[in-house]
Amino acid sequence: MKKYETVIGLEVHIELATKSKIFCSCSAEFGGEQNDHVCPACCGMPGMLPVTNKRVVDLGMTAGMMLNCEINRTTTFDKKNYYYPDLPCSYQTTQWFAPICVNGKVRIQTSKGEKDIRIKQIHMEEDAGKLVHDDWTDTSLVDYNRTSVPLIEIVSQPDFSSAEEVVAYLERLRSLLRFAKVSQCRMEQGSMRCDVNLSIREEGETKLGVRTEMKNMNSISAITRAIEYEVARHIDALENGTEELVQETRRWDDVKGKSYAMRSKETAGDYRYFPDPNVMPIVIDDEWFDSIKASLPEFPEVKKARFIDELGLSEYDADLITQSRAFCDCFEAAYKECGEAKEVANWLISDCMNMLNKKGSTMDQLKVDGTALGKLIKLVMESKVTRGNAKKILLVMDEETIDPEKYATENNFIVSNDTANIEKVIKEIVAADPKSVADYKGGKEKALMALFGKCMKTLKGNCDPQVLRKILLEEIDKA
Amino acid sequence: MERETLILLEKFDQLSLTDEERDAFLKFYDKQLEEKKALDAVDTENVERMVHVMPIMTVVREDEAKKIYSREDLQKGAPATSEGYWQVPRLVE
Repeated sequence: MKKYETVIGLEVHIELATKSKIFCSCSAEFGGEQNDHVCPACCGMPGMLPVTNKRVVDLGMTAGMMLNCEINRTTTFDKKNYYYPDLPCSYQTTQWFAPICVNGKVRIQTSKGEKDIRIKQIHMEEDAGKLVHDDWTDTSLVDYNRTSVPLIEIVSQPDFSSAEEVVAYLERLRSLLRFAKVSQCRMEQGSMRCDVNLSIREEGETKLGVRTEMKNMNSISAITRAIEYEVARHIDALENGTEELVQETRRWDDVKGKSYAMRSKETAGDYRYFPDPNVMPIVIDDEWFDSIKASLPEFPEVKKARFIDELGLSEYDADLITQSRAFCDCFEAAYKECGEAKEVANWLISDCMNMLNKKGSTMDQLKVDGTALGKLIKLVMESKVTRGNAKKILLVMDEETIDPEKYATENNFIVSNDTANIEKVIKEIVAADPKSVADYKGGKEKALMALFGKCMKTLKGNCDPQVLRKILLEEIDKA
Repeated sequence: MERETLILLEKFDQLSLTDEERDAFLKFYDKQLEEKKALDAVDTENVERMVHVMPIMTVVREDEAKKIYSREDLQKGAPATSEGYWQVPRLVE
């Protein structure tokens, strides 16, 4: 068999983290009852004029800077024409002639080493609505809640040669854009979607082969399977003539593990792009540009290296924390407050992570205030609150903003120094359970734990465990 | 313009021209193009692209979500609705 190489280019749609839509003030929140987030502008009523959401431009620029792009200081919107009722105007407002960002690059790491993927452009555009096909009435039902929700489309050059590179790129994009708070990039909610353009050519050939496109892929594992399937299908067609390859858009069925032809591929000419006269051009002056530049976060890998080198975290801990901007922000604020990096890392990686897992939340949904976490850790380290009670306080901190010390005081979580009371409780428990005392004296270590537990329970956990253990042993000796 | 291109454009714009209308349009269009060739003689080397006919730039608003219209108001003029959806003839490619 001849040797072939795969050529892949990606178009990645990212839903931006804004409160409102790109050209009107309707909510951009995910979900809601059908057609509840709509107005005459996003419903395409005649005469309605769009007004651009400034935050969309901010986030478009931020994405471009994170991906090493040049920013077009004068950027314009254009109409992309197609008839389909998921877009009520019969065109999509997007960018064609002067997109906000051009000529970027993203460095990826694969088993074969590092590689730069070139970004052709990033453009801002509106999302389409949702169609539900109703078999019962043989009609289609239209929901415009998602219409005009702001997106950026990141168009790469055809620089990928394997599914592994595609996955590394998508994970890198997701990490960078989440870090910069451009988007949540939640593929399962459709806030990150990917179109895969793929062709095969003989090794050494410079001309590209016939290209097929798979649209709206929203899971990394499905993308991997789809690429592997398409590569095999193309090679089979070229080697064995099983079918004639044509330029087309295909749909990936992840359950059946097959791709199906949807329609012949449109070309740019088919969309008849032209400047949208209703949306005024955006001119980005130096002040605006510099304010976005100044707001960029430290890159995750730079942060990770600093956490290891300067704060002494392990590679594992630093890696986990830098997966999420929310974790990083919380970590840094808590460390500033209590000065104990390793302790903060432990709380985040074990307690906070468990708490999020139980709620089915992502790391970016951590609501715990970092300074408050630092104060809580200080209370534990100073033995003012037991670790067990601190965990209870942490659960409250994820729901509301509280001062941990005030909350601990008001809810009797402060460790008692009243040794007279501790002795009284221990004496009563020891007197009431002579069997456990005898068992312990007879060598059963577990019996001590049982007595310890009873005492701690009676004292509602508000007792220094070391003090409790010391007094308990003394009382057992006396008994 | 090729006749096939015009037929493709008709499809995009959901038009259906007669053969006579096509002949007339193609004749008109080619004449227009011929006349526009005079513009090729203009030197545009150092001329900035005109981005808009109006001298108004950067019309933006802050990112605040507001609810002004109810679904019921917006759907008053709709020929058909169902459970809050607009209902349209079935569309499957």
